[in-house]
Amino acid sequence: MAPNVTSTVVDEKPEKYEGNHVHDVYELIASHFSSTRYKPWPVIASFLSTIPTGWIGLDSGTGNGKYLPLPLDRPNCIHTIGMDRSLHLLEIAKNAGGSPREVVRGDVLGKGWRNGVFDYAISIATIHHLATNERRMHGVQRLLEAVAPDHGRILIYVWATEQDEASKRVIPIENQTSETGQDVLVPWVLASASGPDQKKDANAVLHRYYHMFSQGELTALVHGAARTLGLKVGPRCDGRDMGVEIVQDDWERSNYYVELRRWKND
Amino acid sequence: MVRLITHNLLACHVKGCTSNNFPLIFKDVQVELREAEFNPDFLKGFMPKIEWNALVNAAREVGDTSLPQEQPEMLDDDFLKSLHHVLLEIHVEEGSMTCPNCQHVYPISNGIPNMLLAEHEIG
Repeated sequence: MAPNVTSTVVDEKPEKYEGNHVHDVYELIASHFSSTRYKPWPVIASFLSTIPTGWIGLDSGTGNGKYLPLPLDRPNCIHTIGMDRSLHLLEIAKNAGGSPREVVRGDVLGKGWRNGVFDYAISIATIHHLATNERRMHGVQRLLEAVAPDHGRILIYVWATEQDEASKRVIPIENQTSETGQDVLVPWVLASASGPDQKKDANAVLHRYYHMFSQGELTALVHGAARTLGLKVGPRCDGRDMGVEIVQDDWERSNYYVELRRWKND
Repeated sequence: MVRLITHNLLACHVKGCTSNNFPLIFKDVQVELREAEFNPDFLKGFMPKIEWNALVNAAREVGDTSLPQEQPEMLDDDFLKSLHHVLLEIHVEEGSMTCPNCQHVYPISNGIPNMLLAEHEIG
């Protein structure tokens, strides 16, 4: 029987907890994980296909670099730089799609860039690995800081407590109406090496930490991060210097996502 | 891979290091040249982003002197081909990048620059 998703409590310093239950695990499962992550999701592919030629972007938490080659019908028209903590995943990402890609080892809470230098940023299935609400909000804040104040576009995808029938995950929800989501450990069964006896290693199950988001929780993070940066949330309007518009705010295939656009009045 | 297009975007982010933290200075680099598909439309779109002096100096640090010191106003084909080569065909495989302000060293290994900081360095 496949191991289940179990609820968890973050019972150590968040950086340490993430080290044990996110970063160390990804280093161990990198190539197996990469082989299961190959199909670009439509909303994300569509976002990248509308990016104008000449733009540069950040893929914060790029994993195996699945999105770095997109859009496929306009190769080399935009450049997306992939950042991740996992060295093993980056070694795969640096040749994503069979061409050399720009990759950097870094942390999504880091800031190793010229402020606002990117035209766009994507954060796909990444900030749900941050172990506290405050860190998740900082993650959103870093995305807002990475993109141009007058036109920067951001797309964020996170796992939802609401899973659809196609999902392989069964989430133990302790309180169905919780606005603060659910912390869980999701098992990963390491692919067993094929051998003459075909025995599975009994210990080859690793657990990754996720915060599953409840409805509205991701949008609340956007509001909080915007407040910290002095940005008005909403369409461009007179009377405020800078802001961010929530262009899309939805659920798709067991994920919540938001698309944001920064604006600035001169 | 890391090429000069990325280097032109990177800055030091050690706690408290907020001025003169760009560009990072290349040291002990090993480079490989690899052809890349020329896309002049991308280059024209990207031009406004480029910190020109930083790019010229970084190119010199990795052994290329083909770019003019002053950013040209006319983007003719010859210039775009030089720019393409400098931004996208010089792969820095090994070496490091040092912050001119706080001297923090960011290593580059196997084509991957490491921008991670130790816990006490995080702002």
